[in-house]
Amino acid sequence: MEHILSIIVFFPLVAVFFGFVISKESIKTFGITVAVVEFLLSIVLWIGFDTSNAGFQFVEYFPLISQFGVSYYLGVDGISLFLVILSTFMTLISLIGLNIKKDIKNLVITILFLEMTLVGVFLSLDMILFYIFWELSLIPMLYIIGAWGSGQRVYAAIKFFLYTFAGSALMLVGILYLGYQYFLATGTWSFSVPDWHLLVLPFNMQLWLFGAFFLAFAVKVPMFPFHTWLPYAHGQAPTIGSVLLAAVMLKMGTYAFIRFSLPLFPDASYYFLYPVATIAIIMVIYAAMVAYAQEDMKQVIAYSSISHMGIIIIGTFAMNAEGLTGAIFLMLSHGIVSGALFMLVGVIYDRRHTKMINEFGGLATVMPRYAAIFGVMMMAAVGLPLTIGFVGEFLSLLGFYRVSWLMTLFAGTGIILGAVYMLVLFKKAFFGKVTKDENAELKDLDKREFTALIPLVALVVILGVYPKPILSTIDMSVKKMINLMEKKALLPSTKEFLIRVNHTGGKK
Amino acid sequence: MEKYLFVALFAPIVGSLFSLLFTARKKNVITALVTSGLLLFSFVSSLTLLFAVHDGLVLHVKLMDWISAGSLNLPFGFIVDNVSVIMMVTVTLVSSVVNIYSMGYMAHDKGYNRFFTYISAFVFSMLILVMSDNFVGLFIGWEGVGLCSYLLIGFWYEKESASWAGNEAFIMNRVADLGMLMGLFLIYWQFGTFSYEEVFAHVGSVNVGVVTTIGLLLFIGAMGKSAQFPFHTWLADAMEGPTPVSALIHAATMVTAGVYLVIRASDLFMLVPEVGHIIATLGTFVAVFAASMALVNRDLKRIIAYSTLSQLGYMFVAAGLGAYWIALFHLMTHAFFKSLLFLGAGNIMHAMDDELDIKKMGGLFGAMPYTAILMAVASVALCGVYPFAGFFSKDAILAAAFNGGNFYIWFALFIGAGMTAFYSFRLIMLVFFGDKVYKKLGFHPHETYPFVLWALLPLGILSTVAGFFEKPFEEFVTKVLDKYEFSMAHSTELGLIFLTSGFVILVIVATIYKYAKGGFSKQLETMPLFLLLKNQYYIPKLYEVAIFKPYYALSRFAWKQIDVRIIDFSVDMIAKILYRSGQQSRKMQSGNLSDMLRWMVVGIVILLAIAIFYRPMV
Repeated sequence: MEHILSIIVFFPLVAVFFGFVISKESIKTFGITVAVVEFLLSIVLWIGFDTSNAGFQFVEYFPLISQFGVSYYLGVDGISLFLVILSTFMTLISLIGLNIKKDIKNLVITILFLEMTLVGVFLSLDMILFYIFWELSLIPMLYIIGAWGSGQRVYAAIKFFLYTFAGSALMLVGILYLGYQYFLATGTWSFSVPDWHLLVLPFNMQLWLFGAFFLAFAVKVPMFPFHTWLPYAHGQAPTIGSVLLAAVMLKMGTYAFIRFSLPLFPDASYYFLYPVATIAIIMVIYAAMVAYAQEDMKQVIAYSSISHMGIIIIGTFAMNAEGLTGAIFLMLSHGIVSGALFMLVGVIYDRRHTKMINEFGGLATVMPRYAAIFGVMMMAAVGLPLTIGFVGEFLSLLGFYRVSWLMTLFAGTGIILGAVYMLVLFKKAFFGKVTKDENAELKDLDKREFTALIPLVALVVILGVYPKPILSTIDMSVKKMINLMEKKALLPSTKEFLIRVNHTGGKK
Repeated sequence: MEKYLFVALFAPIVGSLFSLLFTARKKNVITALVTSGLLLFSFVSSLTLLFAVHDGLVLHVKLMDWISAGSLNLPFGFIVDNVSVIMMVTVTLVSSVVNIYSMGYMAHDKGYNRFFTYISAFVFSMLILVMSDNFVGLFIGWEGVGLCSYLLIGFWYEKESASWAGNEAFIMNRVADLGMLMGLFLIYWQFGTFSYEEVFAHVGSVNVGVVTTIGLLLFIGAMGKSAQFPFHTWLADAMEGPTPVSALIHAATMVTAGVYLVIRASDLFMLVPEVGHIIATLGTFVAVFAASMALVNRDLKRIIAYSTLSQLGYMFVAAGLGAYWIALFHLMTHAFFKSLLFLGAGNIMHAMDDELDIKKMGGLFGAMPYTAILMAVASVALCGVYPFAGFFSKDAILAAAFNGGNFYIWFALFIGAGMTAFYSFRLIMLVFFGDKVYKKLGFHPHETYPFVLWALLPLGILSTVAGFFEKPFEEFVTKVLDKYEFSMAHSTELGLIFLTSGFVILVIVATIYKYAKGGFSKQLETMPLFLLLKNQYYIPKLYEVAIFKPYYALSRFAWKQIDVRIIDFSVDMIAKILYRSGQQSRKMQSGNLSDMLRWMVVGIVILLAIAIFYRPMV
């Protein structure tokens, strides 16, 4: 167990090298095997994880460039643990569902490489290391969209790459500046996050640094108005690309908010709370409206992701344990649900080679099992209680209510507008009579698709009914982080705010 | 006794999961038999619990923790007390009857197995709703019944109107649910818990303004589920679903969930009589408003749906005025006679090949006498004629309105009672008596299966005799709910009873007489008032024009104009500017030596200028 984090990060990379010598016919089996082992490793991590220790566990530290404080520093806590498992799980599921024949060898290798970068992002505790994984993750995705996409795939791939890459440039400046600040304060360089947590930064500096990090994270989430790369990327990406993009890559942004922005810059986070929350509300409502207007099934899901990410931001900036725990849980549930929905769209695209909603109708008659699974995922997406979607959404909104009831009301319209676009999509595609001859003979889900989808359905129900083991682990680390924020807060108003939002009870 | 609670609660979901296995297969009677058996099992357990509670038992069971985060700790908890057990018995009784009835009604439907899956899932959700010991548990059931309602309204999903109505119901309920959720959030941050027990224990010490807000927000949720104005349009459209569904969900059980919520939270609502007054006023309005639409409608099921709306208004009046036990009593009796009315309507529809226009029927008494008798019983019970069930419960509501000095409310409800009598007997007369219009149209109606009629018999009996249990019922539920004191003289009360009953009977007789003579003239149908009522006050039209269409147009605008034209265009513009400036400045690198020297001079000048003029901040 000593080096388990390194093993989890680099096992896919090692597998990539082996992948080059494996024949084309067996590469998919190889990929799935690697993904299974990787997933089991992450489960072993969970089993070995001490649920009474809120701090970083399985820490691995090894100085790389000691004079500049750059180190190889990995660690896991309740906040990142499940995101790691989500990454390995969704990679596995998407490989099982993989249905591409063209250049499959390169594709599997790319996916495994992507898996390494995703896990690396969530496990890095050194900012330089984090930045490396953060940027490295763009390359496989660029390749996946550009090489296996459809339509304007090159345009979409380049847009995705340049947009997110440009967004991260300022973050690098911020990282270097913070390392320098640490040097000024202590006389040694350090880029390790736990070290930085000890750093008390003046309010003005917090504001600037918050801004520098914000852009990188906001593009990644993506927050309004930096979101327009997303519909293109999803629109052109192959199913497996969309699944991993929506399920895991978007979470990198919201994870980074929780890991870095809040604890490093507590006063700035409070200072920017209302503007950020306003953007989040715009995301929720605006993206839901745009989703409703779409004609392409995949774009509906793509915009719905933006809408849900808005709720995650709302929960994050509630800055109480209810909201933050809810936001992290919502990341997991959105990962599972949006991943499943993209796979489901892929299923019908494989059969009809179109994603336009008006090409369908009456699918419930032709493909009842497909319709049923789609229906379950739809209900999870609209946040029906006892599905996985409810828990995170409920907690996020509950948490933010303490900050502002009015903003919660606006953000809460997401539950209405979400039902509007999802139900209308479902009605148009699945209900009514079969009007097109091409649809009359469609085959229902096959074994491969079932194998990929059934685990997701099971999780939707199981974690909807019994989310506690996950929630309590997250909650523990979240509470520790909130304590840290409270300790580090310079301004009395921030302290007061944090105390107020973390306690119940009202005016007598 | 706990095992009875678990059996009552979980038997339906077991049945639902069992028949789920058969949904993709051909019709199999075993699904219907198993689900019916399990529902009856659940009913018997509920009945056992009813007797146990009568002997003073209160069961409170906590299962595993569900959600915990921050200071929130939310277990799955269930409570069986005098209020919830009444609901349990009503729900399981009506659903058992409906399930058995559906074996006949759905016999030739290709979604046979699917139907029973949904019905049992609905009963499970409804039981969660009534048995939960906390607000979020109630909300689980609340959303669960919403889902089942959506699935069952759109059961015949190939019909455009059915799937549209399903969406309308779900989305409209969601709007109201947002209000309810806000109420839940406020409760949490005030009390730090969602449990009824703890919230009601401390509600007295909380700022009245906050309690008022909570009350209003919860009531918004109740308005959605109980289809109160302005959320009422979904209920009439919900009639697209199979008729047994209308009987169970859209008459007897789910739509009364809003009333149940107000009764359950009576400790909270009692503290804020202003909110109660708002509830009562809105209830009164809906009672009359909905009844007026029923007066002219020609659709068999919609008439009954409006009648349901109207009766829900009566229940809210009672709950709003603090007469919680009366509201619950009317809820129960209404469940019996209204589901009977709907199931009778289902028999007619089957006999008439799903024809719903009552003007195309007439004289059906000869073809289906038992259905006619059952529906007549249900109608007199609905009108409140002695000794049928509605007489006791409805009179109590009118008395409560009068007693509280709310004479306007009383008078409106009095008029509403007359309207009820009119539309009920208009329906009976047009369907069962008069000219046999259906013969000209080529229908061959026939009475339904005997077992279906037998299944309806319990409802018929209860519609007749349930009223006599008024006193024991009051005694039973007021152990938990507040007693309601009548302060007016006994003679006034008797006078009111005679006045109302006399009025109702008069209207019934007049209606029968009028329709026996051939009904009203066609000229009435061109009157503006008639058109207004027939078009449901143009409210569905208004929603369409003022909400649905603008929302779609705005969404298109947001996508096509804002997202594509402005935001994405700007992003691409930045990229293009960078690219173009690169293209332009590339010319500098021409390789021509004299060009290069010129640029070098420019560079030196700029650097010099900076060196001279720029003073860094010290």
